[in-house]
Amino acid sequence: MEERRGAVRRPPPGRALSRGPGRAGLVAAALLAGVAGAAESCEAPAGFAARERLASKDVVVMFRTVPEAIEVGRHFSVEAVVCATPPSQRLRVDARMPEHRHGMNYRPTIAAMGPGRYVARGMLFHMPGRWELVFDVERGGRTERLATDILLE
Amino acid sequence: MRARRLGAILAGIGLLAGAAAAAQPVVDFEPAAVRRIRQHGPWPPPVARDPSNRVSGQARAVVLGQRLFFEPRLSATGTIACATCHVPERAWSDGRPRGAGLAPLDRNTPGLLDAALHRWFAWDGRSDSLWSQGLKAILDPREMGASARHVAAVVAADPTLRCLYERVYGPPAAAEPVLVDVGKALAAFLETVRSGRTPFDDFRDALLRGDRAAAARYPRAAQRGLRIFVGTGRCSVCHFGPRFTNGEFHDVGIPFVVAPGRVDGGRHEGIKRLRADRFNLLGPYNDDATGTAAIKTRHVEPHHANFGQFKTPSLRNVALTAPYMHDGRLATLRDVVRHYSQLDMERIHTHGEQLLRPLRLAEAEVDDLVAFLESLTDPRAASGPVPPAVAANCAGR
Repeated sequence: MEERRGAVRRPPPGRALSRGPGRAGLVAAALLAGVAGAAESCEAPAGFAARERLASKDVVVMFRTVPEAIEVGRHFSVEAVVCATPPSQRLRVDARMPEHRHGMNYRPTIAAMGPGRYVARGMLFHMPGRWELVFDVERGGRTERLATDILLE
Repeated sequence: MRARRLGAILAGIGLLAGAAAAAQPVVDFEPAAVRRIRQHGPWPPPVARDPSNRVSGQARAVVLGQRLFFEPRLSATGTIACATCHVPERAWSDGRPRGAGLAPLDRNTPGLLDAALHRWFAWDGRSDSLWSQGLKAILDPREMGASARHVAAVVAADPTLRCLYERVYGPPAAAEPVLVDVGKALAAFLETVRSGRTPFDDFRDALLRGDRAAAARYPRAAQRGLRIFVGTGRCSVCHFGPRFTNGEFHDVGIPFVVAPGRVDGGRHEGIKRLRADRFNLLGPYNDDATGTAAIKTRHVEPHHANFGQFKTPSLRNVALTAPYMHDGRLATLRDVVRHYSQLDMERIHTHGEQLLRPLRLAEAEVDDLVAFLESLTDPRAASGPVPPAVAANCAGR
């Protein structure tokens, strides 16, 4: 079964969506971003071969899939390293097929594996086509969304 | 009538398999189409054990399971065996629109060829293992109407059954564990009910290795139907992979009103029943200590859209299992293809999912798709199993 990755996205403003406490929060975020070189210097731990790196101004998500090759109809996990300022408190991982207007039939369980490290288990893509893989990073009362495409043939 | 139709299909398959003399040019397939055709094989797939069933793959369990499959005393009345509805000579279905055990049922009886390869079982996926699905049929008042106590008593009272049981499991214990053991032996047997190669498989393999002479033995009509199937028809999006199913659930526009005031909720009800099932893979009878087998059960998520969804059936040997759809409302494969050609979009898109659109096929294209679907038939699939060679005295212990 072949798999092609979608193009790596450095999410433009439209793809890195924040939900949070409004103007005050945005100001705070901007201030934090000024000291948030942490995101730029984010590096994967030794032995973590990231499949892709997604980044916004002050959030970086590096992830890999286990097994590495995603196959239609086979469960897989997503292991993620999140660098964020302030640090991430929670991560949600989901996926959907925008053209078909449906998501997965399975809800992954997310476990924290240490500071900024998470694993989402129970993912399954049940069709070939374009899937949008979505990471919602919660930090400091805000949620920032990073997304990328995975094309399954 | 049905026998004549079946004979015609098998005769056609025989012609497909051997008609080298009538070789014709191979239809042009785009590279993307060839990649999709590749995904429909190889066939047969490797045999895998079911980790949730500790007797999966064990020869003695297969013998016990085969004996149980044809045993009507497992039912409450002693009149209904698994094989009453899953008739081996009918591709392990029954040829009726809707099944009937001790009472009429609402759904078409699915065939059991290659059943071990499913992710979910029954039209609504109410079961997450082959063995637990067998238990549901035994216990359902409308199917076999039995109880754990009844099944355990039948096994204990019959010398041959008891002997066969003890060869696999040891002395029978309490009723419920015996019932589960019966389900697991039945599943071990059904794992051996597998279909073989089809004319399509020969074509696929020939196409991939560039053997145009061998590929040309596959009739042009089936090739054209295949091109629609993996191309403009987008059938392979759901009928995906070697088994021609993605194993999941979809609303394809079949009404789910069973009778006035009564609806069939499909997957919506299936998930409810799965979660309430004492015999699911999250329960005490799952033999898989790694937890891997239960991942699907732990993570499956109900959606509003599940209402009226039914499992995408495998298309292998589909020509042998008429009538069609979850409620058996369509008599022929031609009816099924026409259904997809003339879909009622207003009926389907009530939940917002956008997968299907009417194919608007010309009659010649309908013919081609039917020819392709008929080429998914294993010529030996309708012959049924060899009767079990189990001596009455349980010889071979």
